[in-house]
Formats: sequence, C-alpha cells, structure tokens
Amino acid sequence: MELIANRVETIGTGTRGKNYWAALDLERQGKEVLKLNSGNPAAFGFKMPESVERAVTQNLHRALGYSDLRGFAEAREAIYEYHVGRGVKNFNIEDIFIGNGVSEVASMIATALFNKGDEFLVPSPCYSLWTNEAALNDATSVYYKCDESNHWNPDVEHIKSLVTKNTKAILLINPNNPTGVLYSKEVLEEIAKLARENNLIIIADEIYDRLVFDGKRHIPMASITEDVLVITANGLSKSHCLCGFRCGWLVISGPAQMRERVNEAILKVASIRLGANSIMQIAIPAALSDSQYTNQMIEKGGRLYEQRAVTCEELNKIDGISYVKNDAAMYVFPKIHKEIADDKKFTYDLLMEKQVLVVPGSGFMWETCDHFRIVMLPEVEALRKAVREMGDFISKL
Amino acid sequence: MALVAERMAGIGSDIRGKNFWAALDLEKQGQKVLKLNTGNPAAFGFKMPESVREALIANLDRSVGYSDVRGMIDARQAIFDYHKAKGIEDFDIDDIFIGNGVSEIASMIATALFDKGEEVLVPSPCYSLWTNEIILSDAKPVYYKCDESNHWNPDVEHIKSLITPKTKAILLINPNNPTGVLYSNDVLLEIAEIARQNNMMILSDEIYDRLVFDGKEHTTMAKLAPDLTILTMNGLSKSHVLCGFRCGWMVISGPEAARKEINEALLKVASIRLGANSIMQTIIPAALADTEYPNSMIQPGGRLYEQRKATCEELDKIPGVSYVKNDGAMYIFPKIDKGAEQIANDKQFAYDLLMDKHVLIVPGSGFKWDAPDHFRIVMLPEAEILRDAVRKMGDFITKNIK
Ligand SMILES: Cc1ncc(COP(=O)(O)O)c(C=O)c1O
Ligand SMILES: Cc1ncc(COP(=O)(O)O)c(C=O)c1O
Repeated sequence: MELIANRVETIGTGTRGKNYWAALDLERQGKEVLKLNSGNPAAFGFKMPESVERAVTQNLHRALGYSDLRGFAEAREAIYEYHVGRGVKNFNIEDIFIGNGVSEVASMIATALFNKGDEFLVPSPCYSLWTNEAALNDATSVYYKCDESNHWNPDVEHIKSLVTKNTKAILLINPNNPTGVLYSKEVLEEIAKLARENNLIIIADEIYDRLVFDGKRHIPMASITEDVLVITANGLSKSHCLCGFRCGWLVISGPAQMRERVNEAILKVASIRLGANSIMQIAIPAALSDSQYTNQMIEKGGRLYEQRAVTCEELNKIDGISYVKNDAAMYVFPKIHKEIADDKKFTYDLLMEKQVLVVPGSGFMWETCDHFRIVMLPEVEALRKAVREMGDFISKL
Repeated sequence: MALVAERMAGIGSDIRGKNFWAALDLEKQGQKVLKLNTGNPAAFGFKMPESVREALIANLDRSVGYSDVRGMIDARQAIFDYHKAKGIEDFDIDDIFIGNGVSEIASMIATALFDKGEEVLVPSPCYSLWTNEIILSDAKPVYYKCDESNHWNPDVEHIKSLITPKTKAILLINPNNPTGVLYSNDVLLEIAEIARQNNMMILSDEIYDRLVFDGKEHTTMAKLAPDLTILTMNGLSKSHVLCGFRCGWMVISGPEAARKEINEALLKVASIRLGANSIMQTIIPAALADTEYPNSMIQPGGRLYEQRKATCEELDKIPGVSYVKNDGAMYIFPKIDKGAEQIANDKQFAYDLLMDKHVLIVPGSGFKWDAPDHFRIVMLPEAEILRDAVRKMGDFITKNIK
C-alpha cells in the first residue's frame, strides 16, 4: 500500500510551488525577497477597514459558538441584499452558504457536484484552486482558451468545440485572475446561451467584482440568466483586504428545482465541518456596507490605481514585452516575446538573480512558456523598481 | 448526467440531521427546544476566556493576511511545546499543521492519505466527522467495537479480526465522543502493537484531552509508541469553548521518512486553500498558556463537573437505563437496558422524544452504533436544566418502553 493517496500527485501548487519555498529559503539566509506570488494585500501594508475592526471587537462574544451551517442569518441577509442589488434573481437567503474563503467554497462545490468522468470547462489561464478541487473530486478539467488578442475574453468558439456529453459545468473567473480583465457582456451572453443549450452549470468566481477601475462595470453572470443554474462565488479577501479572515460565500441561483437539489447536497457537505469560522461572519454586514473602503483603493490616487499605473508605465519601457492592461483586481499577465524553454526555470532564475518572486504562466495552466503574472500590491516605488529589475533580466535573455 | 455527486449518498450527520431540522422547525413555531445535539458550549452561556479576548484584540492587525500554509510560526511553537510536554518526541515544528478546526484537519488527512479500496478502522460508536471524510476520500470505514462492559475501551480482539491487507490506518478518539471515556494505557499499548505488526498508521483525535475529570490523566498515544507514524489531532473548540473560531491542528510524529512523505502530501493539500483563518492562530499561544480556564470547568464546583454530577444522579433514578460514567469531555452515552427491542428505529425514538418533550438528542445510530439502544446526552446546560431534561427523558422512556 502506498503511504500517500494517488490524488495528491494531481495537485498543482499554483502560487505556492517550489519557487515559493525557494524564496522562503532565501529569506532565511537573510536576503530580502519581493514576493509577488500571491494576492495578499496585508503583506504590503494594506490595513483592515475600521468598520470591520469595530464590528469584530464589538461583537466578539457572538463569535464563540459554531454558526448555522449555512452561515449567520444576518451575514447571509447582507449577502442577499448585495447580490439582489447587483441584479441577481431567482435565489433566496437559504441559497447562500458562507465558507472559510472562496477556497473552502470551491471545495464544497466540487465535492457536492462532481463525479468521476465529469468534465469541467475551465479557463486557461486559470487560478489553480478550481482545477485542484475538480481533480480531487475525480472530475476532468478541460481548458478553454482566453484570447489575449480579444482582451483576454473567453474564446467562445473554442468552448463550443470542447463541449461533450460529459461536460457538467463551466467556470468563469470574472474579473479574472491572472489576467485582471473584465469580460464583455456579449461574451457572457454567448456563454449563458451555450450553458442553456447544453445543460451546463455555470460557476462564476467573482471575488474581484468590487475592484474594477476606470468607471467600468462588472456584470454578474447570474444577472443575465435566470434559467441556467449559476453558482456565484464571492468574498472579502480582496475588496476588504481580509485574506486572513477566510471569508467567502456562494450563491446558488436559477431554476428552483435544480437549486434545491444542489442546495441539499452542499448542505450535506457543509454539515460535515459544522460551520465556517464565526468571527469573519460578524464582519460581513459591516464590510458590505463599507464600499468606501474598496472605492478609495481603486480611484485615481488610490493605491491599487496608482500601482497599476506605475506597473504599466514601466512595462511600456521594456523591449520584448507586451500586455493587456487589466480592468480590475491586482494582476497583470504580460507576454514575453522571447524564447523561453521552461517558464518555471525562468522565474526561478529571476528570483535568484533579482530576488523577485513571480508566478509563471504554467502556474495558471497556461500552456506556452511566454507569460508571467505580476501582483501589483507593493507601493509604487517598490513596484517600479521590481518591474525595472524584471525588464533588466528579460532584456538579458 | 446526475446533478449532484454520487458520493453524497454515503454522507450523513445525524448531529445535524433530520431531527435537528425538525427541532429548528419547532423553534420557528415558537416552541422552546433544549438542543442537546452538539458539543457547542457557547450555546449554553460559556464565556470566552479573557486571555483569548485580550490576545485577539491585541493581534487583530496580524490577522489580516493569509498565514503561512502550515500556520503561523508562534502558534506552531506553542503547539510544539504543548505536545513535547505531553511526551511526544519525534517531530518538529514543521510537522504541525493548523486548520479551521479538527474538521478541516480531518478532511486534509483523508484527502492526502486515503485511496479507493483502502480500509480505515474506526470505533463504533464514532463521531461522524471521520467516517464522512473517509467516505469522501473513497476509502472504507471498518468499524471496531468499543466494549461497554470494559469501560468502553476498544475491543482489541475485534480489531485484530478486522485487519486485512487493505487496512491502512486506525482511528482512536480518546477521550471519546460519544462515550466520554478515557482509554486505559494497556489497551493503547495493545493497539500500538497491532499497528506495529500490521504496518498501520494511527490517527489519534485527542481534542478532549484537557477536559478530564477526577484527577485522571490522559496519555497521548504518540508517547506510548514513538516508533510508529501517528497523527495526533487537537484544538481549542472544547477546552477553551472556541468552536466558532474553527481552531484545530495536527502533529505528525514517528519515523522520519514516513513523516516527511506525509508532511509533503499534506502541505500540497493545505496549499490549495492557502491557509487557515489567521484570527484564531493569533490566540493559540495565549489559550494554551491559560490552563486555568479549562481546569476551572472540570474541578468540583466547575460547570462541566457539576453538570456531569447532576446528569448521573438523575440517570441513576431511571429504571431500565444504565451508563458508564464518563471520564472526560461533555458526553455520556446511556443504554436502554430493558425493552430496547421495542425500539425499531432509534432515529424515530429520538424524534418522538423531541416531539413529546422538546429535548433533542442524537441516538446511537448517529454514531454508527448498530443497536437501537443508546443515545448521547450533551451535558452542557446548567445543572438544573440538565436535571429537568434527564427527568423528561426518564419519563419518556418509562412511558414508552415497558
Ligand atoms: C479568482 C480567485 N478565487 C478565489 C481566491 C481565493 O480566495 P479566498 O481567500 O476567498 O479563499 C482567489 C485568491 O487569490 C482568487 O484569485
Ligand atoms: C471527537 C471530535 N473530533 C473533532 C471534533 C470537531 O472539532 P472542531 O470544532 O475542531 O472542528 C469534535 C466536535 O465535536 C469531536 O467531538
């Protein structure tokens, strides 16, 4: 008998792979490393919203016990209002499940839905959480291309060509990680149509929906389809810089009968672990009514806005690099127009030479060795310097 | 294509099963229900340790970011010291993983270790978390009996008879849920010997180890068998009444090669979810240093102690009911001695009790106990409320079972 389960081999390490541990080793040796591998604002001096701090300290006594399996009622009430306000219909408060981050929510969804042989359409590039959870639950991830020449929108023709009788669900990450773009309404509508025609569940990870720049508007997938089962995932890790709180949720919307059956299955999964952590749940109503906190990061003069501006300015100066400017989130996914044999080796060498850690395209299941992701969280001057170092490194390739 | 996964058919928790939802319905109708289905002290007025409150507020700004994948280093240091002091030798600080409760830890272990076709020995009666996680990982729980006539200790002969080439691990819950007993060192040593001879891993869920009455002492399994691969689980849900914080951890101990391999696999599984919640991690050192808090509950005059006393006194008055007095935790698992054959279905028994007396308990089947003759009492309400509840149970039993 093997000591370890076979499925462990299928796990991709994404943003915390070998290079991440190599970076920690460098730090242990006393080197200063700029770790741009993970979207963790707290690591770059972002502070918790005061509204959240107040809500937590004042309600701490309520955080002591196991919560309702789906989550505290008033937290779900606030989440309900939020999504109704964003135009989502056909769901009610019991169709909301709160979890320890979108990470746990993804695990609950995959556990409740996937059977061996099921195919799951996922974007390439893709944030690794979802493919890992699919693999752990015996489903096969089938990658559809996002088209860099079309503002990284999903390639609908490619999606169509991938649908088989085993296709169960399609994942959208919008705004996207790692590309940072917002999908167009037309593309969303086409995907909705395709899901309707092929009886697919849509899973919409919209954790970055409040972090959209330039006055652009995010369109929730569930707001443009009422007759397709949509599971929307969202959370406070990014919009309120609360990654450590592990605060995420899912909303099941669509036809009542399907909704009920999926709800029942997810409830069973949720009851195994008794409840999500209660502390973050007492922060949810306060956070969702504090849009000010989020907005001041993305407006002109705000940290995320200015850090993006600087990153782009510096990327523009690098020969042999192009990029699609992100509409949202804290990521940009530049392309290198040079021969690279192994992109993990490329980022390892970058780490060793410049002490800057980035995740290469392969960390997002992007199949050609020509992209990497920059996490635009450090203060502008630190970012400027880091991008210059990248440019220096790339120009010497 | 099926809408939901087939594996869901095997999953169940009667702790939050149909009767639980029926109880919530009663409450919605304005009825008062005493819910003795879960070990959730906060629901019965237990308060947060002051030490924890202070640590939490002082460290809130450290809770904002994702933690280290295994857990914050100072929290793991405190956990390391705790288990060293309990006598575990062969492990280091990176062999500790912190999770969102022992619940998440159990999921990580099952995901990392178990495959289709493998068998895991689990106690009957058993807390349902473990069997659910084993089933989700496609492995098979195989139930060994705990022997009520031997203070609910695991039946070693029965364990031996269940071993096959596919047996990968054995789970111990000590102190136990639902029986509340502490296992004898002799039995633990015998189980260690079985594991040694059959190359089995030991999973030891010791979440109740700080809640032991009457001056008895809990022995950690890993101390008795330093040469074996042992995963020890623990957490703050019970000893510091912090269920809502979701604070649990595991310690991998034993021979270095296996430890490393397991560690790497668990690290991969843990990285998928980035980290456990940071808030509870900031309070682990303070909580583990605050031994006064759990001790005050288990001494004479302490709530857990007095509530157990009241429960036992009232149980003694019910004819036809017997029980093994618990050594630890907050549970007792009485037996209906006389007339149990009249109970065709213990879930129905619990449902009828709920409807008649508005007291919710979990019957034996909720713990994979295969005869309809046991139920678990969660001894968390104040003594007088418990007294009243146990009297109602007695009343119901004498009325319905002749
Ligand atoms: C697209 C996407 N989904 C989910 C997550 C995980 O978020 P959480 O912290 O809620 O687990 C991330 C984190 O980077 C993400 O980028
Ligand atoms: C034996 C046992 N293990 C684990 C747990 C779950 O604990 P946690 O709150 O740490 O998930 C419980 C809770 O009742 C339990 O009784």
